[in-house]
Amino acid sequence: MKTFGILHVVASSLEAQRHRMNTIVSNMANMNTTRTEAGGPYRRKDVLFEVKEIEAGNEILEGVQVREVVEDNSPFKIVYDPGHPDADERGFVQLPNVNPLEEMVNMMLAFRAYEASITAFNTTKTMFMKLLELGKT
Amino acid sequence: MSELRINNLGGPLKPEIGEGIKANQNSQGSFELFLNEAIGKLQQIQSDAEKAVKELATGGDITQAVIAMQKAELSFQLMVEVRNRLISAYEEIQRMQI
Repeated sequence: MKTFGILHVVASSLEAQRHRMNTIVSNMANMNTTRTEAGGPYRRKDVLFEVKEIEAGNEILEGVQVREVVEDNSPFKIVYDPGHPDADERGFVQLPNVNPLEEMVNMMLAFRAYEASITAFNTTKTMFMKLLELGKT
Repeated sequence: MSELRINNLGGPLKPEIGEGIKANQNSQGSFELFLNEAIGKLQQIQSDAEKAVKELATGGDITQAVIAMQKAELSFQLMVEVRNRLISAYEEIQRMQI
């Protein structure tokens, strides 16, 4: 039904933001990880969104989906710490390019976007319920 | 849902009774059909919701389950509202003096 197309758009947005939240959490968890399977320290990850077309009756609505998870290629942090097991011969350690402040801000943005989708859903639902009240005395 | 149209609201009131009944008989089938179709769709939506909840228990996606449940709730409300309107129309006719 046409009215319910909006619900699928909201669902797509919720899923996308949840996915974004997952990558943010892994970034935060690996803030100090110096070893990965690929070798070297952990690289910050980010999600790339794209439009997902959702059919609703005879119109096409535009939802969102995660296209892929990309790596941030900015340089690693270099810290002087000769006691670290992964320090090179000059005593420098390469740490992940994760900035906790940036991750916190991204987390808030993801949460706000999630919240906005839920508000949109609730408003749609209220509108639908109001429509059912039409003509009642 | 198909559009509901109300025609000839301001037209002259000429009760052509025979014609009215004939028109009614012709449209009877289509309304019944519409009602059946609507109930079938509702059933479909509700079984979708049930399926989503079952999938949730075996590791399905929570967002999809919640959305399916909301969809079922909204369509059920719509069905209840249609039923209420039908009943109130019926009651209105019952109260008519002969």
